[in-house]
Order: sequence, then C-alpha cells, then structure tokens
Amino acid sequence: MNAARPGILLVEDDPQIQSFLRATLATEGYRVVQSSTARRGVIDAATHKPDMAIVDLGLPDFDGVEAIRRIREWSSMPILVLSARSHERSKVEALDAGADDYLTKPFGIGELLARVRAGLRHATRAPHGSSVLAWDGVRIDLEGRTASRDAKPLRLTAIEYKVLAALARRPGSVVTHRQLLVDVWGPAHAEDTQYLRVYMKQLREKLERDPARPVRLVTEIGVGYRLALDD
Amino acid sequence: MQVVRLHGYAWALGATAVATLAGLAMRPRFDLVNVAMAYVPGVAFVALRQARGPAIAAALFAVVAFDWTFVPPEGTFTVDDVQYLFTFGVLIVLALLISRLTDDIRRQSDERACLAVAAEAERIRGTLLASISHDLRTPLAVLTGASSSLAERGDAMDPAERATIARDIFDRAREMSDHVDKVLDMTRLDAGGMELRREWVEVPELLSALRRQWAPALAHHHVVVDVPPDLPLVRADAALLAKALGNLLENVARHTPPGTIVRLTARQSGSEVILGVEDRASGLREDDLERIFAKFDHRTPEQSTAGLGLGLAICRAIVKLHGGRTWAEGLDGGGTVFHVALPVPPAPPMPVEHEEA
Repeated sequence: MNAARPGILLVEDDPQIQSFLRATLATEGYRVVQSSTARRGVIDAATHKPDMAIVDLGLPDFDGVEAIRRIREWSSMPILVLSARSHERSKVEALDAGADDYLTKPFGIGELLARVRAGLRHATRAPHGSSVLAWDGVRIDLEGRTASRDAKPLRLTAIEYKVLAALARRPGSVVTHRQLLVDVWGPAHAEDTQYLRVYMKQLREKLERDPARPVRLVTEIGVGYRLALDD
Repeated sequence: MQVVRLHGYAWALGATAVATLAGLAMRPRFDLVNVAMAYVPGVAFVALRQARGPAIAAALFAVVAFDWTFVPPEGTFTVDDVQYLFTFGVLIVLALLISRLTDDIRRQSDERACLAVAAEAERIRGTLLASISHDLRTPLAVLTGASSSLAERGDAMDPAERATIARDIFDRAREMSDHVDKVLDMTRLDAGGMELRREWVEVPELLSALRRQWAPALAHHHVVVDVPPDLPLVRADAALLAKALGNLLENVARHTPPGTIVRLTARQSGSEVILGVEDRASGLREDDLERIFAKFDHRTPEQSTAGLGLGLAICRAIVKLHGGRTWAEGLDGGGTVFHVALPVPPAPPMPVEHEEA
C-alpha cells in the first residue's frame, strides 16, 4: 500500500458522477483509478491493487454485486457501495457479498469522504490482530472471553461473545442480518432476525452507556448492525 | 313488506303466490286467458328488481301455479289445450325481455360509476402534475440560476458568497430528490408494486434508530422516546416502516415550531402494538384530522414548507400494506398525535442458550 497517497478504485459508469468524485477525491490527496464497467473494475482491482473500492451498483455490463463477489474472492480491501434508490434490495445483496458500507444516491460529498476515511482507517488497523475491544470504560477480550466495565468484571454469554466477535471482525463495517445469523447460529437460522433483536438488546444493556440511545452497537434499519468504535 | 333483503328466488315465489291469490279472486268472473294476465305484473316486477335467474324462476313458477290451479283439469300438471303453451311462452319471453333491459340499464350505470372513478384518477393526476410543476420547477429554477452564476461568475465572488450559493443548490437539489422519491413511492404503492420484505422488528430499537436518523431535522425540537420495556416483536419491512414513521417525523419537523416537544411512544393494546408520534404544538382542526392523510393535501398551499402533501398518504399506505391502521387525534391542551397500529403476530421461537454448550 502506498502510505502517502492511498489509491481508490472508482467503478462508476456515469461520466458526471465520475468527474466530480474523481475531482473531490483528488483534492483529498487520493490516487484515483477509474473503471466504467464491472468487468474492467474487477481487472483494475487486481492490477492496480487499490486500498479501497467505491462501486456503483447500476453498472452497464454486469451487476455491481457480482463485481464485489469477484473482488472479495481474493481481496479484503474496504468496499463502499453506491446504490440508487431503485436498488434498495441490491444494497443488502452487495453487503452480503462482502461490501463494507453503503451510500444511497443522491449523497453529499461530505458523507462520501467520511465513509472513505472510515473505510481506510479500519483497513490500516490490523483487522485480525486485535481481539480486544475497548470504549467508554468497557473492555472486551474476545479471545480470552473476558470483559469488564469500569474495571469491574462483566459477564457475557458465549453467544454474546460470538455476536460481538462477528461485528468486531469488521469494525465500522455494516454486517448484515444474514451474515450475523449465519456466522453465529449457522445457515439454518439465516432468517431468524428475532435472535438478533434479543441479543443486541442484551448486549446494549451490558455495554452501552445509555442502552436506549446506543452509539457503539448501531442499528442499520432493515440491513443489519455496525460496531462503531470511532468517536 | 317485511321481506326486504331476502333472496331473489323468494321474491319469485312470493310474486307467484300473490298472483295466484288474485287469479283465484278473478276466476269466477274472468276468462282463463285474463286470469293468466294476473301473473304478468309479478313476473315483470321480479324481472325488474332481481337478477335474470329469479326472473326466469318467476315465469316458471307462474306457469306451474297457473297450470296446477286454473288450467283444466285443475289440480294436475296436465294441459288439455295447446293454447296455454302460448300463455307460458309469453310469460317466459316477458321475463327474459325485462331482465335483459334491466341488465342493460344496470351495466350502463356501472359504466358511469367507472367513468367517475376514472375522472377521480384523472383529477389526482392533474393535481400530481400541478404539484410537480410547482414543487419541482421552483427548485429547478434555483438550481439553474444559481449553478450558472457559479459557473460563469464564480471567480468574481468572494468565497463565502460562493459557498452560500453552492449550499443553496445542494439543499434545493436534496429537496427535489426527496419530492421525486415521494412521488415514486406513492405511485408504486398505488400500483401495488411494493413488496414487503418482512423481518422481526423490535419497536424500541426501531424508534431509537429513527430518532438518531432524524436528529438533524429535529435538532430544534425536544424529542423524547417513551416505550415500555417488554413490547412484543412485530413483523414488518423495517425499511418501509421506518419510512412511514419518518414521514410522520418529517411532518412534525415541517409544521411545528422549534422548541416543540415531540414524543415517540409505543404500547400494546390487545392484539396490536400502537406507535405514536405526538407533538405539543398548536394542533389541528377536528375536521382536518382525517383529511391530512389524503394525497396532495396542502394545509397551507402558499406556505413554502408545505411540501408535496404525500408524506402522510404514503405513511398510511405502507401501514395498510402491513395490515395496520393509521389515524390522527387532537390532544387536550393543544397538539396532535399520529397513531400507527400494527398487528402482533404469534411470537417467534426464541434462541435458547445452553451455558458453554
């Protein structure tokens, strides 16, 4: 990775959206590689080895979701999805396929840059190295299965650890209901969203300062959950 | 008559009985052919008022009753004289003819009703076009003017001025995009093209996420979430339900002054969970409480904050799609509460955790 100038792959077919995204990303010091088709995007991802990809879901040749699936076969770089309103459903598919975050068109550039920064930040933080989560006086060791809050030991159940670990594997990213359910309970429970409601509620009661206004275990309505570690 | 809503066939029987009694009264003085005439008004009456089936039945009943009661040999279905077959034929033709005519008239009036529905659709389309042209063209005018002044004279402006104009373009474009979304949503809901992707939804969690999502728009309102701890889960398309409730919040943000207290509530009532969006503003007139759910309702058309008038109609349509109900109610001491009632399904199987299994 080029530490000085992170590279961003932009897979987007609309020339005007391309143009303002490229211009803005360049002013932020990013190196931008552009592809107008999904096929090209998959190839460029392999040849240019960017640090992050921004993928539009309405591409002319094949589905952006398919492009994400192919990129994910070998790359773990953060992928941000741009979805039009008419692609509400494919947004979840894209996340299921391994995208980390999404932004619905139309969006302001401020929102986009914030997502890009967050994506790159999480990527540089060794994702598999740290099994310790810490925030607001809460400390959780996922491997050692110990937790504390304000230096007092905290009891989490085995499943609670698993749910947290599933979220912490990709901190800051949106983890879909399906991904969480399959990860923790197995494919037979992929639709059992009630399981998540129960466990997220328990986890929030144990880990959030104000469980009714969670800031760490964030709900993405109709999509899934996100573990927000940054302030 | 005490039998008003009875079946058409009962009418046919009744008419035959009445005609037979009349015939019996006439019999001593009238020719048999004229006695047969006693059945004509009954058959005509049934054919006029009932469907074709009862009309034909009335004619047949009349034939049978006439034959049995009056045609010699009386008390049998034997017919001595072929001329009575003609009488029977006339009765049946009469029944068919009248019921056919009545059908035609009924069909025409149905067509007229269809035309009225089409006219209503046309009116809504007209309002839609009018509102699109007003609500979209105004921001478009801002976009065109402001962006061209940036492109052509931007260099000569001071940075703060430039930023203000660019911000205006952004805000108006957002607003327009929001309008277009609403029109598309309404159109899809009307066309029945919205497919629900249901999941188990925890209402307090949804309300909390909604409050977070709407915090910027309600930055100057005091938003309070007030929910009991043990509400049952509901089965809903969370994204759509959030949109429905979001439209209620948008409505509050738009129509109540800064500083207004807004309460998001939920409670179980029988087999429903009832959500409430409650504001302590000036409230609505009693007769507006239902009207505001209509499409393109603008309480104050002149007001620039009026919006498209689709938000509440979309909310109602989404909730209806979930088998729920929506209504608004005035609050004592001023204010309005919008209710969304959702059915509670049987509870789903819950996860069981065996300690360190």
